[in-house]
Formats: sequence, C-alpha cells, structure tokens
Amino acid sequence: MSAAPRTWCWLALVPEAPDDADAAAPVHDAGGGSAGVLALWRRQGRPAREARRVDVRLLDPTGPPATVSLVRPPAGVSLLFDDLAVQEARRRVLAGPRFDAVTTLLSDASHFEGAITVARGAAQVARLRDDPFARIFAARVLTVGAGALGTLPAPAGPTIERYGSANPWPSDRFTYG
Amino acid sequence: MAVDLSPGSVFPDLRLPDHSGSERSLSELIGGDPMVLQTYRGWWCPKEQAFFRRLLALQDEMEVGYARIVSVSVDPPPVAAAFRAGVGARWTFLSDPERTALTALGLRETTDTVNHPYVPAVFTLLPDRTIHQAYDGYWFWGRPTVDELVRDLRDISRAIRPDWAAPTA
Repeated sequence: MSAAPRTWCWLALVPEAPDDADAAAPVHDAGGGSAGVLALWRRQGRPAREARRVDVRLLDPTGPPATVSLVRPPAGVSLLFDDLAVQEARRRVLAGPRFDAVTTLLSDASHFEGAITVARGAAQVARLRDDPFARIFAARVLTVGAGALGTLPAPAGPTIERYGSANPWPSDRFTYG
Repeated sequence: MAVDLSPGSVFPDLRLPDHSGSERSLSELIGGDPMVLQTYRGWWCPKEQAFFRRLLALQDEMEVGYARIVSVSVDPPPVAAAFRAGVGARWTFLSDPERTALTALGLRETTDTVNHPYVPAVFTLLPDRTIHQAYDGYWFWGRPTVDELVRDLRDISRAIRPDWAAPTA
C-alpha cells in the first residue's frame, strides 16, 4: 500500500539559511532591513523549534519573489483553531478576492499558530492590509526572495473545516490511502 | 450530439475562468467531496437571486460538511465576482462568456434570445463527477429545495466516506 500524499510541510522564519531546507529565501522588512530567512521543509520531524505546519503546496523552490503578511501569536498566547475568530477569518478569506497563496500555521491538532498570505502584484500587495488573520494577531508585512513560495489555487469554498486536524487549512482533501 | 447529463452519467470536466479570472477545472474544484453544481441565467434574474438565497441558507452548513458548490454562468469574471460579493457567497463561480461550455453541454436557454444564458439547472455530483441527481430549474419549482440538496449530499457522503459509520468502542 502506497503512502498517502502529504498535505503539509514545515515553515519557519529563521536567522540564517538552514542546510537541510527544501526551499529557502531571504526576507526583508518594510524598511528594507534583513528579517532572516524563510525556510520550508518536507521532512516528517520538526526541523526547528519555531517551525509550523503549512499547506505543502506553498513550498516551491522555483517560486518568484513575493510580499507576505505573516501572522503569528505573541509569545505565550494560545488560541484554539476552532475559535470563532479563526472561523470568521477563514470565511473572510473565502469571501474576498484571491491572493497567490494563503495557509494557516499549525503546531498541533488543536491550536491556531497564525497564517501566511502571499501577494504578488500591486493590487494583491495593497490588499494585504486587509488580511483577515491580522484581526486576530498582529501581522508583519515582509518581502520574500525567489525560491521559496509557490502559488495555491484559491480554496474552492465554502468549506472552512480542516480535512483532518493535522492538516493546515485550506488543504482541501482527506488523505485516505 | 448533446452530452448526457442524466443521473449516472459523468459530468464533463469543465475548464473555465473563475470569478478572479484564474482558469479552473471542475475536477480540481470538486477535490474529494460531493458537489452542488449550479448553472444560472445571470445576476439580473430575480429567480436566480431567489435561488441563491436558498444556496446561501445551505452555505453555513456546507462549510463544516465537506461539500462544495460551484456556480456557472455566462457573466464575465468581474460581473460574477461582483454578484458573488453582493450575495455573500463563499464558493467558486465559473465564467463562460464565450459560451463554449454552454454549447458543449447543450444548456443554452433558447427562449432568451437577448442574453443567450445558461438554462437554470442543478446537479449533485460525486467526486468522480458522476451525476447523482439532475434538476431542471427552468420553472422555479423544478429547483431542489434545501432538504433535497441535504438528502443528496447525505447519499453521496454515505457512498464515498469509508468511515461514514462512526467508529465506536
């Protein structure tokens, strides 16, 4: 029996490019200062303490540069993925115009660990200020170099549930073998 | 020769731009879930507006039920996007302004010689696009009720979910 396709990979903003990442790109803040490296891994085990699960389709070593809204909870703050605020943010993502990619961040089956929204082109970048997940936790708008982030099809809708609690939304199918 | 759109047939794998202008295929949009596929005349038709209110009533349950909706019309993407936003739909709208899929499907409403729209129809589909039920909505009462759609989605889910019977101990 073949293994079911993986629906998630790891993502972390780290100080330096890891040797073992499957994709990585330099990151800069709005002022142009270095903000580290955005790295993604396909491996099963957590590659770094700050790594979180994201939709595997985000990982693309050939992906062009992008501007992202990276939402992360403050240190020590924990919010259930099923919290009404997180549900409403997912609805707003589905209702709004598309971005090149959106995925929630997970560390376990129960908690919301933030989200990353990928924008390319002036119109999408301008709309990052309306990132629905930024209503929950503060967002950092960052530029990410080439070689890390792909483009996801817009979620079909109207499903806001995860396809299994280990899978970041909007991964859109169960992993039956 | 017209495509067979009766129950048991496989619905063609449409490829059309969505409301944002990105090309999408029906097989990608359906994923592994049951789908309600709707064709509608256009945003301007009061009967369509009324039926959208029915679909919207189902939307809040479908968002947790692992099922999908797709609406298809001849409205171009910007018009479909505006209508989608106006009614509050959170599912994908497909645009067929060139009427290519409409022609292939044989779903042009011949009595409207001004707009040449899709005839209103609703299909419930299995993930492999097999048609479970087909509803002819030319007359409004031919369209499925929320209860009928729920019944169809239950039937399809029961057939495709290997864990439909709750695992218990």
